[in-house]
Amino acid sequence: MTDPLAALLRHPRLWRGGSVTPGPATVPTGFRRLDERLPGGGWPLSALTEILVPAAGVGEIRLLLPALCTLAADRPEAPRWIAWLAPPHLPYAPALAAAGLDSSRMLVVRPRAGFDVLWAMEQALGSGACAAVLGWAEAAGDTVLRRLALAAEEGQSPGFLFRPPRHRDESSPAALRLSLSAHADGLDVEILKCRGGMPARVTRLVRP
Amino acid sequence: MSESRPAFPATAPAVRQPSLALVPRRAAATAAARELWLAAHFPRLPIEALLPAAQSVRAAAATATDDPRRTIVSCNERAARQGIRPGMGLAAALALVPGLRVEERQPAAEVALLDRLARWALQFTPVVSPEPPDAVLAEVKGSLDLFGGAMALCRRALAGLSGSGLGASLAIAPTPRAALWLARAELGMTVTRSDALPGLAARLPLSCLRWPPQTVAALGELGIRDLAGLLRLPRAEFAMRFGPELLDELDAGLGRRREPRRRHVVPERFDDRLDLPCEAATAIRLQPALGRLLANLGAFLRARACGIPGLRLDLLHRTRMPTRLRLGLARPSSDAGELQWLLSERLARCPLPAPVTALRLRTGMLLPIAPRDANLLARGSSADPEATARLLDRLRARLGRDAVFGVCPVPEHRPERAWRIAEPGGRPLPAPWPATAPPRPLWMLAEPQPFDDWQGVQVSGPERIESGWWDGHDVRRDYYVAWTRAGVRLWIFRERPPAGGWFLHGVFG
Repeated sequence: MTDPLAALLRHPRLWRGGSVTPGPATVPTGFRRLDERLPGGGWPLSALTEILVPAAGVGEIRLLLPALCTLAADRPEAPRWIAWLAPPHLPYAPALAAAGLDSSRMLVVRPRAGFDVLWAMEQALGSGACAAVLGWAEAAGDTVLRRLALAAEEGQSPGFLFRPPRHRDESSPAALRLSLSAHADGLDVEILKCRGGMPARVTRLVRP
Repeated sequence: MSESRPAFPATAPAVRQPSLALVPRRAAATAAARELWLAAHFPRLPIEALLPAAQSVRAAAATATDDPRRTIVSCNERAARQGIRPGMGLAAALALVPGLRVEERQPAAEVALLDRLARWALQFTPVVSPEPPDAVLAEVKGSLDLFGGAMALCRRALAGLSGSGLGASLAIAPTPRAALWLARAELGMTVTRSDALPGLAARLPLSCLRWPPQTVAALGELGIRDLAGLLRLPRAEFAMRFGPELLDELDAGLGRRREPRRRHVVPERFDDRLDLPCEAATAIRLQPALGRLLANLGAFLRARACGIPGLRLDLLHRTRMPTRLRLGLARPSSDAGELQWLLSERLARCPLPAPVTALRLRTGMLLPIAPRDANLLARGSSADPEATARLLDRLRARLGRDAVFGVCPVPEHRPERAWRIAEPGGRPLPAPWPATAPPRPLWMLAEPQPFDDWQGVQVSGPERIESGWWDGHDVRRDYYVAWTRAGVRLWIFRERPPAGGWFLHGVFG
């Protein structure tokens, strides 16, 4: 009995109000417990995500790696960059390749001056040429962050800005703010701010 | 006007027997040829492309690429005098001339030299056609009066070529192919009558045809050593046995068949200069003039549906040498607005040593680019294949070329050599890249750092890496994975034998 109804509902010319999914377009993080906590079920596309990291190397790249692989494989006919702006160390190509990231799409930028990082990040986000933009910056004022958020929206690129945890209490226009803390048996992710969602805490996430 | 060297009879009935090959199908063969082709053959082009003329005092030879015997393909005049011949093995050549300078031939340099020679030949006629790999053809019928006859033209061309240290053999004939044959045979002839060609056949060895070796060998078995013998063969059987293409080639050479040739076209360039109304001391005051020059350039490029891979901007000063800026683009572009943005970034970072009086904008070669559809809905951003190149250009214009790079894995055991800096957007890797059994860190330190903070560190391992003893960068290390108390996973190593200290090499991130 339900089959004709289901077929009717699948008809492309039928539009139902309930099928409009509210919330932002996202890409799954690759971690189910984190996806459940994030609105839309993943990292927001076309928005800025701010990640507070206590020390370089606590697992922030492994946290992003599944999403980066998804994003890099998206649109093979017009491949886009994965931009690394002022990373603390060099992204190691064999490890990236082993993780499934095509290293020919990597764009590493190492500017000399600190302000150039944010300039480059705004360019990369706004150009629409990047599947993801990863930036490491120390000081970034509210205005600068707002510009980055707008550029991410305009270029439809997800931006990930890594900053030290002392900026935790500053206000930020980022759509999503996370704070990471590392333990021997995994990474704790605290969602500080999340547009369309609730602050939350996901513990022991990326196991080494 | 129609002259021949006395070396051959002006009218030579080469047809002695009624062979099919030689019965002229057309009664035409008018005595004065409609076209006259000058062929310049450069027998030593491979070596001359490598060594400038000034260095030809030493015996030198170019060897074939991808050849274990390293056969000599070309040698300079001095080496030839000492007995070096193309086709010799390198060992034999070195035994003959111990001080022989040996270079591997570079096809790209040969192509470039031939291109320069074609451009040089444009001084005699507008119709020039290069014949790769080592000859240039030019239709000179209309230019003979200007240069005072075929012989005078040849003398003038030879003088020019030997002045630049190039060995050449010239010939003039009514068809391009016959001119090539004569030039390759190094007969030094000018033939201006169509009916004179068959009479020369006996003096043209088969080698000047450049036919495949097996064909020449098969003809040799028939006792045929020169073109005259070839022309005595019956047409139908010749075409059946050796293919109609070779028969067509013979017909083209003898003027029985037209052989159109592609003309050499000199690539266009943009070169424009604009004098400033008053001297400009700051980069910002150059902008209006720069904008006008770039608008000209944009119109020039749009009219030709071309883009440029880069450009040069000279800032001219009153007394000093010009300040030169070079802009390279990741992808050929014709977008004047984008070019102005990039040049402005460059100008802003380039201190002006003196006030500027004029600007000069020059481009290199123009490259055809496919015009892009203006997209109404997707607003350029994500669906734009040029966006990636434009971002690269913008970042490099401001941050410098070296600050923006890509990375590429290299199949190698030594961790610091298992990757290299690459031009971003190179070829995709052959997926999947083989995963290394013990995982590698996502971050690599540029240089290994001494590691001595052992508080609360747990270690697992080792993974032993010993490699590279053959190239002087010997690596003998034991790598361990270390967990710090802060939760960071590190990749550390110790040199073997365990005498040295510990070093931090990577972070697992």
